[in-house]
Amino acid sequence: MLASVAGATVATSGCVRQVRSTVNRDGIDQLSLTITTVPADADRESIQLARALRDAFEAAGMDVSIEMQAPEEFHRTVLINHDFDVYVARHPGGVDPDYLYETLHSRYVDEAGWQNPFGFANLAVDEFLESQRAAADDDRAEAVTETLEALALEQPFVPICVPEEYRLARTDRFDGWEDDRIPTRLGYLGLETGETVRTLRLVHTDARLSENLNPLSVEYRDDGTVTDLLYDSLAVERPEHGELEPWLADGWAWENETLTVELRDGLTFHDGESLTAADVAFTYRFLADTTLGDADVPAPSPRFRGQAAAVDGIDVVDDRRLELAFSIGEPAAERALSVPILPEHVWRPRAERATVSGVRTADGTTEALVTDNVPPIGSGPFEFADLVERDSVTLERFDEHVTRRPDVDLPEPTVERISIAIDPRSTSAIQLVSANDADVTNRPLESYVVDDVLESVPEDVRVLQSPSRRFYHLGFNARKAPFSNPRFRRTVARLVDKQWLVEDVFDGHARPAATPVVEEWTPESLEWNGDDPETPFLGTDGDVDTAAAKAAFEDAGFRYDGDRLQVRR
Amino acid sequence: MLMQVLTQLVIVVSLLMIVSIGAFVGRYRLRDTRTEWRRRVREAAPITLLLALVLLGNSVARQTVPELSWMIGWNLTWPIYDLEGQFILWLQSYATPSVTAYFSFVYIYGYVFLLVFPIVAYFALSNTRPLRELLTAYTLNYALGLVLYVFVIAYGPRNLMPELVDALLYDTYPQYQHLTRQVNRNTNVFPSLHTSLAATAGFLAFRTRGVYPKWFVVATVLALSVAVSTMYLGIHWLIDVLAGIVLAYVSVTLAGHLVGRWSLSSRLAGRVPYVSDNT
Repeated sequence: MLASVAGATVATSGCVRQVRSTVNRDGIDQLSLTITTVPADADRESIQLARALRDAFEAAGMDVSIEMQAPEEFHRTVLINHDFDVYVARHPGGVDPDYLYETLHSRYVDEAGWQNPFGFANLAVDEFLESQRAAADDDRAEAVTETLEALALEQPFVPICVPEEYRLARTDRFDGWEDDRIPTRLGYLGLETGETVRTLRLVHTDARLSENLNPLSVEYRDDGTVTDLLYDSLAVERPEHGELEPWLADGWAWENETLTVELRDGLTFHDGESLTAADVAFTYRFLADTTLGDADVPAPSPRFRGQAAAVDGIDVVDDRRLELAFSIGEPAAERALSVPILPEHVWRPRAERATVSGVRTADGTTEALVTDNVPPIGSGPFEFADLVERDSVTLERFDEHVTRRPDVDLPEPTVERISIAIDPRSTSAIQLVSANDADVTNRPLESYVVDDVLESVPEDVRVLQSPSRRFYHLGFNARKAPFSNPRFRRTVARLVDKQWLVEDVFDGHARPAATPVVEEWTPESLEWNGDDPETPFLGTDGDVDTAAAKAAFEDAGFRYDGDRLQVRR
Repeated sequence: MLMQVLTQLVIVVSLLMIVSIGAFVGRYRLRDTRTEWRRRVREAAPITLLLALVLLGNSVARQTVPELSWMIGWNLTWPIYDLEGQFILWLQSYATPSVTAYFSFVYIYGYVFLLVFPIVAYFALSNTRPLRELLTAYTLNYALGLVLYVFVIAYGPRNLMPELVDALLYDTYPQYQHLTRQVNRNTNVFPSLHTSLAATAGFLAFRTRGVYPKWFVVATVLALSVAVSTMYLGIHWLIDVLAGIVLAYVSVTLAGHLVGRWSLSSRLAGRVPYVSDNT
C-alpha cells in the first residue's frame, strides 16, 4: 500500500514537473508596440513620420498602433514618467555635442527630462561620453568622433533628419533680421527701427507659451527663445562668432579646472532686487537639486541638467565674483555659463514639495518644476507684462538691462514692447505677417507651407533660413524588451528610410542624419552618402523589403511565425 | 482678425435670415407675433435662461475639460481610426475646389443659420411648444456633449493624417480657425456637436413639417451637408458624426418628454409680476 502510494507520488511528480516546465514557459507572441507622438496641430511632421514608421514596422511583421497625446501630456509621458515603447518627436539637440552626455549617460537613467529618457545604459558609451567631456580643445574632435561612432553602433535612438528652419519677417518696420540669430534671443535684439515703431509683434504657433512661463518646465518649453528674453545667462552664444560671449558676466578665466566669473556691476532683476553672485550660486545648486537637499531624493531640474551637473563646487568670493569648480575640460565646462540665472528670493520658496489637496504627489515633485511661473521675474532684456491664455503674451522692455548701458557693446532691446500672438497654424501665421498684423514668425514654419512661401514671398517680407540643431528622432524605451537589445534597435533603424522621409514628409526641407550633431561636428565616417552609412535602409523608396527585413531580424536572433515577428512576453 | 470673421458671419447669416423669414414664415405670422410676443417670450424665458447658463458654463468648462480628460479620459483616436479605416480618405478623394467651397460655407455659415433660423421661425408660431422643445434639445446637446468630452479624448482625422486629409478649411481659409478656435478644443471630436446640433434642428423640422413644409426640405439638406462637411473637411470621423446623430435623437426625444412636464413658466406666472399682457 505504502509502496504503491510512493510509486504513484513519484510518477505524478515526474508528470507534474513536465507539466510545470511546459506550462510555465512564457508565451511567444507577435511583437506589438505603440508609437507615442503628438497630433498634427502640435507637430505636423512627427505624426507623419510616426505613420510612415508604422507602415514600415508592420511590413517587418510587427503589430503597431499610434497614440497621440497633447504636447505637454506627451512630454510628461515620455520624459517624466517614461511610460512608452517607442516615440517620435523633435529633439532640442545642442550646438555642442556635449549635450549627448546628459542625453545618454547611464547616471541619468532615472531622471526626468531630456536627460536619458531612453533608459539607455552602456558602460562603454559612458566612458566615451566622459572622455569627450574631459578632453581639452585639441583632443576633443577625436573623442567626439569616437563617441558618435559608438552611438551609431548602439542606436539608443534613431536620428532621422534635421529640418531646415524658415521664418518670415517684415522688412518695412524692422531692419537687421539675421538668419542665424533668429532661432535665439539675439534675433529679437538689436533690430533697427524707426522712431514710430514701438512694438515688435511676434506670432507664435504653440499655445503652451501662454499657459506657462517656467524656464525649467520640460513639458511647456520647446526652444525657449521667449523665456530667454525674460531670463539672462552669464554668457550668450553669438552665432556669428561661434562662441560664448560675456552677457551678465563681465568676463571669466579658466585655470586649474576652475572658472572664475566676474559679474557686471549693478545688475538687478525685474522686481528691483539686485542680482549678485549669491543668486548665481543659488541657480547652479537649485538646478542640480530643486529640493535644495531637503528631501531624501534629489530632484534635479529637467532642463539645463547637463550644464548644472558639470559644476562640482561653487565658491562665492564676493557680491560680483564666484568660482565654479569642474572636473572636465574647458569647452564642455563653458556650457554651464548658458543656464538662466534665477532670483533666489523667488525660487527658494519653490523648493517645497508641490501639493494638490487630497492627492499624494510623487517624491521630487517640487513646486519649482510644476509652477506656471506667472509672472516670471528674471533679469532679461524684456520683462513680463501680461498674458491671455491661449491668445497672447506681452513683454515690455527692461530699461535697466545691461545691454542698454552706453559702455556695453551687446545687441540691445530696441522696441518698447513685444506682443506675441498665439496662432496655431503656419498658414494663418503667414497670413498675419503678410497682412502686416505681425512682424515675425517666432517658431519655424511647417515644412508643407515652405514651398508656397518661397515661391511667392509677400511684399516687404523676408524669408529667414536658419541652421537647426533640432532633429527628429525615434526614441526607444530601453527599459523594456526587446528595445533593450542593441541588435533589435539596429535592425529597426534599418527600417527607417530617412532619405525618403525627408522627401515625402519634409518636401526635401531637411537633411537626413546618421548622427545627432550639427554638421561641423559630423565625422567623415558618419556623413550622409545617399544612404545611412551605419544602418542602410532595407528596401527602396520607403517600401520595406519584407524578405530582407525578416532575414535581418532572424540574423539578430528573432523568430518569425509566417510573416509575424515573434517575441517572448 | 477674429472681429473681421465675426462681422462677416453676422452679415451673411442676417442676409440668409431675412430671405428665409420672407420665404418660410410669411407676413401673417409676423403680424400675429407683433401682438403676441410678450406671452411667447414669457413662456420661452425659463428654458432660454437655462440654455444661456449652460452655454456660459460650457465656455468656462471648456478651459478645464481638456486638463481633466487627460487625467481620467480614454484616448480613442487610434481605435476609431482602426475601426473605420479609410472612410474619410475615400470621401476626400472626391474633393474639388467648388465642393470644398460649398462645404466650408456650410460648415461655418450654413451651420449657424440652421441653428438660429428655427428659433425665429418657431417664435413666430402661436404655440410655443416647438420653440421650447428646440431650446431644450439644444441645452441637452451641450450638456450631454460636454460629459462625453470629459471621458473621451479623440483627435480628428486632420490631426492624424495631415497630409492626406488636407485640413481643407484651415488651409484654404486660415481666418476661420480664429472663429472655431474660440469654441473647439482639438481633443473634443467625439461626438460631433456640429452634427448633433444640426441634426437636432433637422429632427425638429421633421416634427414641424406640417407648419413649415419648405423649411423641412431646406433643413434636411443643410443638416446632411453639415454632417458631411465635418468629415469632408477632415474635422470629424464617421463615428463622431454617427454619435452626433444619436446624441441629437436622444436630446430631441428627451426634450419631447420634458417640455410641458414641469412647466416653469406656468408655475411662476402666478407669483412673479411679469410684463403684463395688457400694457
